[in-house]
Amino acid sequence: MRAIDYALRHGWASLMRGKGSSVFAVLAIALASSVLGAVGLVTFNADRVLARWWESAEFSVYLRDDATSEQRGMVETLLDQSDAVSGREYVSKDQALARFRREFAELASMTSELGGNPFPASLEVRLQDRTDADGTGESLLRRVATLPGVSDVRYDRAWLTRVGQGLDAMRRVGLALALLLAAAAAVTVASVVRLGMHARKDEIEIMELVGASAAFIRGPFVAEGLLQGGIGALVALVAVFVGYRIGMAIWGVDLTVALDGMAPRFLPVLLSAALVAGGMLVGGLGGLIASRRAGS
Amino acid sequence: MQTGNPCDTLGRNPDVIEATNLSKFYDRSVYALRDLSLSVDKGEFVFLTGPSGAGKSTFLRLLLLKERASEGQIRVNGHDLTTLSRSEVQEYRRGVGFVFQDFKLIPTRTVFENVSFVSEVLGVAPAQQKRRAFQVLKWVGLQHRMNAYPRELSGGEQQRIAIARALMNDPPLVIADEPTGNLDPDLSLEIMNLLREVNAGGTTVLVATHDRELIRLVGRRSVTLDHGRIVEMS
Repeated sequence: MRAIDYALRHGWASLMRGKGSSVFAVLAIALASSVLGAVGLVTFNADRVLARWWESAEFSVYLRDDATSEQRGMVETLLDQSDAVSGREYVSKDQALARFRREFAELASMTSELGGNPFPASLEVRLQDRTDADGTGESLLRRVATLPGVSDVRYDRAWLTRVGQGLDAMRRVGLALALLLAAAAAVTVASVVRLGMHARKDEIEIMELVGASAAFIRGPFVAEGLLQGGIGALVALVAVFVGYRIGMAIWGVDLTVALDGMAPRFLPVLLSAALVAGGMLVGGLGGLIASRRAGS
Repeated sequence: MQTGNPCDTLGRNPDVIEATNLSKFYDRSVYALRDLSLSVDKGEFVFLTGPSGAGKSTFLRLLLLKERASEGQIRVNGHDLTTLSRSEVQEYRRGVGFVFQDFKLIPTRTVFENVSFVSEVLGVAPAQQKRRAFQVLKWVGLQHRMNAYPRELSGGEQQRIAIARALMNDPPLVIADEPTGNLDPDLSLEIMNLLREVNAGGTTVLVATHDRELIRLVGRRSVTLDHGRIVEMS
């Protein structure tokens, strides 16, 4: 405990003494954390929408207009026998037309001009949550598609998976960029800490000569890096929050529509805390790299 | 500062420093020390002298474990310095006080902080740190300057603070490298008298100096080095 107390007190004092050079380290961490925070904000909200879509995703079996009741019965039997299915609902041609007119009121007049009902009857199927993971949804889709009387099969989760993969790719690119910037930030922190070490070389020598442990000798430098990292990440968090508020003030309504009626939210507390912890980790690592030879 | 009987069971003072055939070279053609064998008894006051480049500082660097010997054996306070691990080095150094020519005081800390710093970085409880720091400052006669910064002190006062710092751990051995090198003759004698008082308390003192007049005035055993070898003991 004394080593931690000593490290924090002297790390803070060193940070205050070298304010000018510490600004560079703080800014470098802030830049890396801002990129990570911005990517986190976008993917966090996209994940929310995706999760909602995923929950309401269906497996739709469209029936031919000339499908017989026996053919429909065969499809229903196959669905009922499958463990992957948690429920189903038959939507007749008339119900499908009524639903379209209700949901797309501005296009309702078009349907009367067509001179007939273009919407097929369908079976809307709800699947168990695990079906995307073990592939039973895909397998059921292939079997249903071959049955007589079936004109088409649509599996929402297939494209949602592709959207999710796109989002993952975006997350990976963002993370890679943030890691690259974090490495640069760690080098900047190490350089700034090294400057401080040079100014305190007599103090370090005395500590070594009186037999101080590495925790006492390196601790203040690691703490200085941690503090620089923490301050940098907090600056980034504030910058991302300000950006979020400005974005909401200008495009709030459009963004809510784009997110299927869900208002964009700021990063949750846990993610915000993780961002600050990440900044501290990068800063601490910089301090550790700079002081790795002290006390050895 | 120390108390207790320094003699072993045979009535002979055990060695605090025992160097045997000690050599230090940077390549085989440049020897800083060559086949040096030297014993310093517990409670002894010994001068190490010789011209510049004789090997005095190298020997002290080996004692402080800032460097390792190339050949030979060296034992200090019962530790074999040629085989100590990193954690053992820390333990060993806690038993050795050091004083340098340039004082090496921390300019941003007060006199009191410079002295108590030793205990602080060894994790000693704050109350104990303060008590001991005040005790050693009083002993060197500078307790009234404890809130001053090193730049406000004379050279002699700064060296007394450095001696106080060396005594913080109550070490059995104090090593001083040219402690009077930056001081005038009167202050030099004052510092030597202080080191004699340290020695009178039972602490072994080893002083490297090239000041032969000072050695004559203090009148203790001296070991003269030249080209890394002992050339005279008196």
